Amino acid sequence: MVPYLFLAPALVGTIAFKLYPIFIGFWESLIYTSFSGGAEKRIFVWFENYQYLFDDKIFWKSLEITAFLTIIINPLQIAMSLGLALLLMRKSKFIRVIRSLYLLPIGIALPIATIIWGLMLDPNQGLINGLIGVFGIPPQPFLVSENQALWCIIAIATWKGVAFWMLFLLAGLEDIPKQYYEAAEIDGATPFQKFRYVTIPQLKRTILFVFVADTAANFVLMVPMIILTKGGPLQSTNVLIYEGYRSGFYYQDWGRSLSIITILTVITLIVIGLQLLFLSEKNEGIKVK
Amino acid sequence: MKKILASLCTIFLFSNLVTSAKAEINFLIGTWAEEPLTPFVEAFEKETGIEVNIQTFPFRDLLATIEVRGNAQADDVDVIFVDAPLVPSYAVRGMIGPMDQYFADTSINSIFAPAGIAAASWNGEMYAPPLNNSGQLTYYNKDLLAKAGCAEPSMIEAERVTWEEIVDCAKKITDEANGIHGFIFDQISRYYQLQALPESAGGGSGVCEGGLSVKGCLTNDGWMKAGQFYYDIHNTSNISPKGVGPDQTHELFGLGKIGIFVGGSWNNGRWADTDLNYGVALHPYFEGGKVVTGCNSWHIGVWNYSKQKDDAAKLVRYLTASPEIAIHYVESHNSLPAHNSAILHVAEDPKFNNFPGIVMNLATYESANHCATRGRTPGFLEFEEIVNTSFEDIRNGGDPASVLADAESRIESSMRRYK
Repeated sequence: MVPYLFLAPALVGTIAFKLYPIFIGFWESLIYTSFSGGAEKRIFVWFENYQYLFDDKIFWKSLEITAFLTIIINPLQIAMSLGLALLLMRKSKFIRVIRSLYLLPIGIALPIATIIWGLMLDPNQGLINGLIGVFGIPPQPFLVSENQALWCIIAIATWKGVAFWMLFLLAGLEDIPKQYYEAAEIDGATPFQKFRYVTIPQLKRTILFVFVADTAANFVLMVPMIILTKGGPLQSTNVLIYEGYRSGFYYQDWGRSLSIITILTVITLIVIGLQLLFLSEKNEGIKVK
Repeated sequence: MKKILASLCTIFLFSNLVTSAKAEINFLIGTWAEEPLTPFVEAFEKETGIEVNIQTFPFRDLLATIEVRGNAQADDVDVIFVDAPLVPSYAVRGMIGPMDQYFADTSINSIFAPAGIAAASWNGEMYAPPLNNSGQLTYYNKDLLAKAGCAEPSMIEAERVTWEEIVDCAKKITDEANGIHGFIFDQISRYYQLQALPESAGGGSGVCEGGLSVKGCLTNDGWMKAGQFYYDIHNTSNISPKGVGPDQTHELFGLGKIGIFVGGSWNNGRWADTDLNYGVALHPYFEGGKVVTGCNSWHIGVWNYSKQKDDAAKLVRYLTASPEIAIHYVESHNSLPAHNSAILHVAEDPKFNNFPGIVMNLATYESANHCATRGRTPGFLEFEEIVNTSFEDIRNGGDPASVLADAESRIESSMRRYK
C-alpha cells in the first residue's frame, strides 16, 4: 500500500494534466457547434467531424507533410546529435569551451531563434543569400518557396534541437565503461567496429529515449510555422498540429480542431509504440559479438 | 508597536475597500491605437471615476485573443476593438451586444457617417460604433517615375490611373539588380486591400448574397482576373518583390526602393521625416472596370459577457461619439474619420487642400464614393484568413485557378456552421 501512496501524487497529476485533457479533447471532437439561426448550438454528432475530416483534402495533405517531416527530421536530428556527442567525447584542451559553444542554441528560446532565422533567410535582405552569393549561387526564395520552406523549418528545428538531444547521448556515452573499448582494441577492432559493436549496443537505451522524446516533440512542432510560414507556401508547411491550431484558434471550428488533435495523439502513440516495440531491450536488433 | 500594526492593518483594509468599490473595466485594443487613445481614456477616467485597464495586442494577436476569451465566455473583458467586417461574426456568436439603447437619447445618424453605421450594424441593430474609417490611394516616387519616363498618376477623377498603366510604368521602373521594384501593395496579401482587384474586375466581394456561401463567388471571372493579376506582378513581370511583409512595405517605399505604392491614408505621416520626393493620386482600377477602393476600419464594442456593461458602454460612447477625439485621430494618426464632425473638419480646414494634407481629402473622397465594404458574413473570420492565405500562395507561385478553387471549397465547408 505504501508504494501506491508514494505514487499517488504523480498518478493524480498524470490523470489531471494528461489523461483528462486527452479525454476532454476526444469528447469535444464529437461535438459540432452550429450558429445556425444566430444562436450557438452544441450538437453531439458522434464521428461526423472525423467524417468531414477524411473527406477534406487539406487534412490529407497536412497528414502527408507531417509524415514526411517525421521521417526526415527525427533520424536526422538523432544522427547529428550522436555525431556531435561522439565528437565532443574526444579529449582536447578546449573541450569544455567547445561543449559550451555547442550548447548555446539550448539557451535561445525557439520563438527567438525562429525570428532570427527568419531574418537570415529573408530572400531579399537575408544574410544567407548574401553568404551563398559569395560562392556564385543565385539568391534563393527559402521560406517563400513551396519546395524549400519545409527544409528551412527542418534546418531551424534541427539547429535548435540537436544540442539538446546531444546532452542525453553525451551522458550515455560517458556511462559506457572504458574497459569495453580497451577489450575491443586488444581484439584489434577498428574505430567503426568499436562504434558498431560497443557504442551502439551500450547506448541503445539512451537512443531509444531520445528517439521517443524527439519524435513526440517534433509531432507538435509548430512555432516556426506560426511565426514564419503560416502553413504555406501552398500548404507546404501545414503540419497536422498547425492545422489543428488554426482550425481552433483562427476559425473557431473546435470540432475539427480537436478531431485533428485526437488523430495526431493516436498517431503519436502508435509511432512511439512501434519505436518501443522494435528498439526495446527485449527485441535485440543489434547483438554484441 | 501593536497600535502601529493595528493602524496599518486598518489603513490597509480601508484602502482595499475603497479600491474594490472603484469600477474597473478592461479594454482590449490594437497596439497602434494605444498612443492616440490613451490621453482620452485618462480623461474618461477622471470624468467618470471608472478605471480603464488598457490591454494592447498586435493585429493578429488581438483577433486571436478575442476568440479565445469569447470561447471561454470570459467576464474579465469589458470593451473590445472590433474590425469592421467582424461585426456580424461577433454579433451572431453573441460576443458583442447591441448598442442602440446606449445611444437612445440621440440620433446616431447625426454622429456617424452612413457607411460607418452600416459597418457597425447587423440585422438592423448597431453593435459596435466606428472609431475611424479608412481609404486607399496611390503614392508614387516622383524621381523614379521621371527616370523611367512615366506620367504621374492623377488626382482628378476623369484621369484616374488604371492597373494596366500602373503595370506598364512599374515594368520600366523595376531594376531588380539594384533592389528597385516598380510597384507594391501596402497590405500585401490581405483581403482588406486586395478586394479592390476582383471588385474592379466585376467579381464582387467573394461572399455570395445572404452571406452564408461563397460557391461560385470566389472562382468567377472577376476573381480569376484578380488572381492572375496578383500572380503576374509577383511571378511574371516581377514588378513586386516576394518575401516582403505588410509591415515592411511602407519602409521600402520610404527608402526609395519602390516606384508606386498603393496604400492607406495612415501612411502619409510615415514619410514626413524622409527625403522622399513623392506624390499622391487616386486609387487605380481595371480599364473598363469598376472604380473601387478598400474602406472601413476599427469599431469599438461592449463585450457581451462583461459584468459592467453600463460602464463599458459609457467608454464606447465617450471614445466614438466625441468630435474632439475623432478630429484628434485624424490629425495625429492620418486616419479617416467616421464621425460627421471630423469629416466636416477635413472638408473645411484649408490645410487638407494642399499636399501632403490633401491625402486626407482624397482618401475621404475615395471612401465616400468608391468604398467596397468587405464581404458581409458571420463566417468572415474564416473567410478572411483563407483568402489572405490564398493570395499569399498565389504570390508565391501558386496557380490562381486551383488556389481559388481550393479556397472556395474550404470556406464553403466552414460556412456550414452558420447555415
